[in-house]
Amino acid sequence: MSAAGRTSAGWWLLILPALLLVLVFYIAPILQVLAISVSEPEPGFANYERLWTSEGVQRVILTTLRICTITTALALLLGYAIAYAITLASPRARGWWMLAVLVPLWISVLVRAFAWVTLLRRQGLVNNMLMQWGLISEPLALVWNEFGILVGMVHYMVPFAVLPMLSTMREIDPRLLAAARGLGASRGQVFRSIFLPLSTPGVIAAGVLVFIFSLGFYITPAILGGGKTLMAAEWISLQILDLIRWGLGTMLATVLVLAILVTLIVFSRVVDLRRMFGTGG
Amino acid sequence: MHGTYGAGPFGRGLAWATALYLLLPILIVVPVALTDQRYLSLPKDGISLRHFETVLTSPEWLGSIWQSFTIAIAASALSVVAGTLCAIGCWRVSRRSTDIVRVLMLLPLIIPSIVYAIGLYRYFGPLGLLDRFLGVVIAHGVTGIPYVVITVSTALATFDPRLEQAARGMGASLFQTLRWVILPRIMPGIFSGAIFAFIHSWDELVMVLFIASRDVFTLPRRIWDGINENLDPAMAAVAVLLIVFTLSLLLADRALRRRSEAG
Amino acid sequence: MSALAGHALALRGLTKRYGAFTAVDDVSLEVAQGQFLTLLGPSGSGKTTILMAVAGFVAPSAGTVLLDGGDITPLPPEKRDFGMVFQGYALFPHMSVADNVAFPLRVRGMSRADRDAKVRAALDLVQLQKFTDRLPRQLSGGQQQRVALARALVFDPKLLLLDEPLSALDKKLRAELQEELKALHRRIGRTFVNVTHDQEEALSLSDTIAILNHGKLVQIGDPNGLYERPRTRFVADFLGKSNFLEGTVRTRMAEGFLLEAGPVQLRVHGAGPAEGTRALLSLRPEKLALLAEGETADNVVEGTIRAWSYLGAGSSLVVATEHLGEIRAVLPAWKSSIDPAEGLRVRLGWAADAAVPVEEDAA
Repeated sequence: MSAAGRTSAGWWLLILPALLLVLVFYIAPILQVLAISVSEPEPGFANYERLWTSEGVQRVILTTLRICTITTALALLLGYAIAYAITLASPRARGWWMLAVLVPLWISVLVRAFAWVTLLRRQGLVNNMLMQWGLISEPLALVWNEFGILVGMVHYMVPFAVLPMLSTMREIDPRLLAAARGLGASRGQVFRSIFLPLSTPGVIAAGVLVFIFSLGFYITPAILGGGKTLMAAEWISLQILDLIRWGLGTMLATVLVLAILVTLIVFSRVVDLRRMFGTGG
Repeated sequence: MHGTYGAGPFGRGLAWATALYLLLPILIVVPVALTDQRYLSLPKDGISLRHFETVLTSPEWLGSIWQSFTIAIAASALSVVAGTLCAIGCWRVSRRSTDIVRVLMLLPLIIPSIVYAIGLYRYFGPLGLLDRFLGVVIAHGVTGIPYVVITVSTALATFDPRLEQAARGMGASLFQTLRWVILPRIMPGIFSGAIFAFIHSWDELVMVLFIASRDVFTLPRRIWDGINENLDPAMAAVAVLLIVFTLSLLLADRALRRRSEAG
Repeated sequence: MSALAGHALALRGLTKRYGAFTAVDDVSLEVAQGQFLTLLGPSGSGKTTILMAVAGFVAPSAGTVLLDGGDITPLPPEKRDFGMVFQGYALFPHMSVADNVAFPLRVRGMSRADRDAKVRAALDLVQLQKFTDRLPRQLSGGQQQRVALARALVFDPKLLLLDEPLSALDKKLRAELQEELKALHRRIGRTFVNVTHDQEEALSLSDTIAILNHGKLVQIGDPNGLYERPRTRFVADFLGKSNFLEGTVRTRMAEGFLLEAGPVQLRVHGAGPAEGTRALLSLRPEKLALLAEGETADNVVEGTIRAWSYLGAGSSLVVATEHLGEIRAVLPAWKSSIDPAEGLRVRLGWAADAAVPVEEDAA
């Protein structure tokens, strides 16, 4: 008993450095954010009352929820198509499809936002091309608005949607699909009654993940929104860096964290973050 | 048995369209970086490397690249040491008692970096870590731990715990067991974790926006200013350099994993 | 139901190549209405590929699949109306037993009421009435196998295809389900095509067995004929066990010939190869007898027991002989006049019609 106890203490010692680092330099600053939200400018829940009284706060929350919902839906649709193609592809083709998913995943988010600006701005490549072909006479407003945010966010989120769906789809026994066809089902029927229901847990996991990541997303909306369409993260940064309203900024930050944790707990049965990154490497 | 069921034309078409949507915008920066014009555009009369020259001879860009590089090296070293030890500890200590530790280690992936960044902004003030190399290294190092914990845990999952028990049974100390039995087996996982932690720090912007201002001015910070202030082809050249750098890191990771799987 | 409920299947020159590798090589065979055909062979013999070509999952490189004389080669699997029991059963894990069985009816657009009646009848057929609402993972292996059968039969398929249907079950259950499968086949009178590598299963279930090796059809026939008169060494060896005796054909007689193996002359019934040629005999271990003092037989050899094992119903001996090598014999326990022991000198005897000449396999 004592020998086993000593060994166990040795292993705990290995955990200690990471635990201390995370507690002192991660958890503590975040707890401080929660604390500021109920103590500045004065102690109490005055900051949280703004959730009900301030139209500005409500508009930011609604914009954030709207953009996140649309982003999640589109990322799931496109991600599903890719994950489906990967699952049914030959092993060789599978490698290329995976590349199409993993390369964007690891390319700097700034580079991607920059690429979209290059493409979508008024004198950008897309508008130039459309004008040259005579399809439009005036440049379209494709960026620095909600459309631009959506294009960039969906682009960022599709790989995150693909990975959990893919790991669920790869567990589907291909013999089930063959069996369904052998029993007389058309391609559409096989998809609807076998493949889709069996891949649903992956879709839910992917949806939760993309939604959570979208909620607190900062860089892409800030660059492609051009300061006109404010989402939660950019609004928080604005409160703190420009308006020095710590109480309001930390209040929304707290709400953000709570929303994310509640979503995760509710869906904790289907979301496995570790698994997602396990296939993502 | 494969090939007995394939995607229909709609599914296939959507998958191809999505792949193009994912890759084309990233590829488009290459011709833009090679433009012979002074503004963001495709090459007109021929290609030119002058924008790469601008970047690679600019003391500001080179300074930021060097700063980002040293920060990423130091931060990923911190993540690798802390994350690897933690993953090994969690693997050996019973699952239930380390559950809370595992959840804590995953938090930086889940909580938006904006929340952490504003927290650090206040927290680092009194500690004198604002706009300091050490401050950024700590912030990046701590948030890089999850990547290492995940890759190392994955490597450990296929590792037979009896090997460790056998080593201890033959009289090896905990340190000797780590050094000679466990670490060599999980090296590929540690290396992957190091690459991901490195990329995490190298690309990180949100924290830097809050905890660094003048003395520490990393590459992402300079790109951010560039996008918001002057959109010129030099930015595209920087983007291409970044893409090439990230891809070569990923290829290195893949090659190493292939070799360890084959060996 | 009458035997006419079945359909006749024929393969003509069926060939499947994967690059340079030929998985199925010019196989032609016929299955009459209501017959039970088993494709038997070791793994890699092409038996599963043939079944998949019949089911429509594998497109042949050459040759045709005919159903009642009509070419069905280009039809996709869902248009063939064949029931199939997959290896590992391939039950849909998210559907109850009843939904699994109803699946082929649902995709054919059958009304709910008709569907329910048919599902009930099919589950009755396999005695699973009580399990309709269970999920597949809540069933035992044998029960899953029966659900797969009910699902494959519920839509009155033209053929029933079985891909190693019993391989996942333990030995006792396998024997039980073999009998059920055979009874089922008799009762519904449909044409069954079964794939297996288990020779006992093939012998006990089939009307016709097709033996395959390296993608080629080696021999086809009824179980008894194949067992008693194997054409090649491979067939004799794969279907049951066999001793092989090699020698030169000498004197031909009215009812057979003499085979010369060194100083030993063996009497063999039946038409053999021409005089003076080398010949190979297959001799089943159970056709040998241990001769008591003074007893005699058409052929007698002497040898020493090198190994023996008791099998309950009988015992198995390996006897080392001077000129014929090691000979394996299986003797019924109740008939044995001698207690076997290692090193014991014994005489083995067999009738002239017990051994059959077989061909050496083509390389």
